[in-house]
Amino acid sequence: MMAWLEATALATWTRESPSIWAYPAILTLHTVGLGIVVGASAVIDFRLLGFARRMSLPSLSPLFRFMLWAFLLNAATGFLLFMSEATTKSRQPVFYIKLTLIALALWNTNLIRLGIRRDGEIGAPLNAPRYRRLAVVSLALWTGAITAGRLMAYL
Amino acid sequence: MDAFVEWLRATPVSQTIVYKIWIWPLCETLHFVGLAMVIGIAGFFDLRLVGFFRQIAVDDVRELMPLAVTGFLINLVTGSIFFVGHPEQYVHNPAWWWKVAFLGLAGFNALMFQVLVGKSTVGLRPGTDTPSAAKAIGAVSLISWFAVLYFGRMLPFLGGAF
Repeated sequence: MMAWLEATALATWTRESPSIWAYPAILTLHTVGLGIVVGASAVIDFRLLGFARRMSLPSLSPLFRFMLWAFLLNAATGFLLFMSEATTKSRQPVFYIKLTLIALALWNTNLIRLGIRRDGEIGAPLNAPRYRRLAVVSLALWTGAITAGRLMAYL
Repeated sequence: MDAFVEWLRATPVSQTIVYKIWIWPLCETLHFVGLAMVIGIAGFFDLRLVGFFRQIAVDDVRELMPLAVTGFLINLVTGSIFFVGHPEQYVHNPAWWWKVAFLGLAGFNALMFQVLVGKSTVGLRPGTDTPSAAKAIGAVSLISWFAVLYFGRMLPFLGGAF
């Protein structure tokens, strides 16, 4: 199945085209996407940890929309990147670690998003210890995902 | 230039960076973490300057900036390590010089904000639009940082230096 994926026209083009619009562009978009996902998450996480405390959390919630679109960009570019070298990448344990960390990070981010929406609506003061934990976990998981992604070039 | 590259490559620091095989992957990882911090935090501040997220006061967003500076410093250090380890990959690479140019633009732009324009955003109440000069600074900053990211990512692909 991996060999089949790798042999498709799309995967072949990604991998073998000398054009900078193929592999290099896809890789660049993947980097842009991760900058936005992890960056936007970092704004919220650092706010939850007490930085720039005067920023109201509900006013930051449009950042989740940014994160969603950037994540979709990375899912698409990531799939293309995977396809282009499916036989090799599917045999790298660090790739599965990366996917697991991303899944956990998305879950955790969603908990933060739902919490801000719920607590913002009922006007409850945001429970600082719980949100601090979620923020630390968020930073750790996204940093882990970046690390696993980068180490795919080596392991 | 080649004499400088040869000299640098021969230094103990450079040799260490190349031979301790964990240094490069560690620094690359940190470099990506740093870029996420710069894009996210400085990018968010730039978006505010341009006029998004208007309900948040500019002053309040500005309090995040030390984190963006931290990200930048992480990347300055790791970037220097890359340069010292393999100067030959950068010195003749047009992508690297474009990256340096946009880093310069980002820095100059930030200086313009600190010295000239920043004052006009202090004390602005939430909901107020930012002055045009601040919007321009925000836009130039966003463009510069994404250009830095682009040329950084394209280092292996443009110029054939790798």
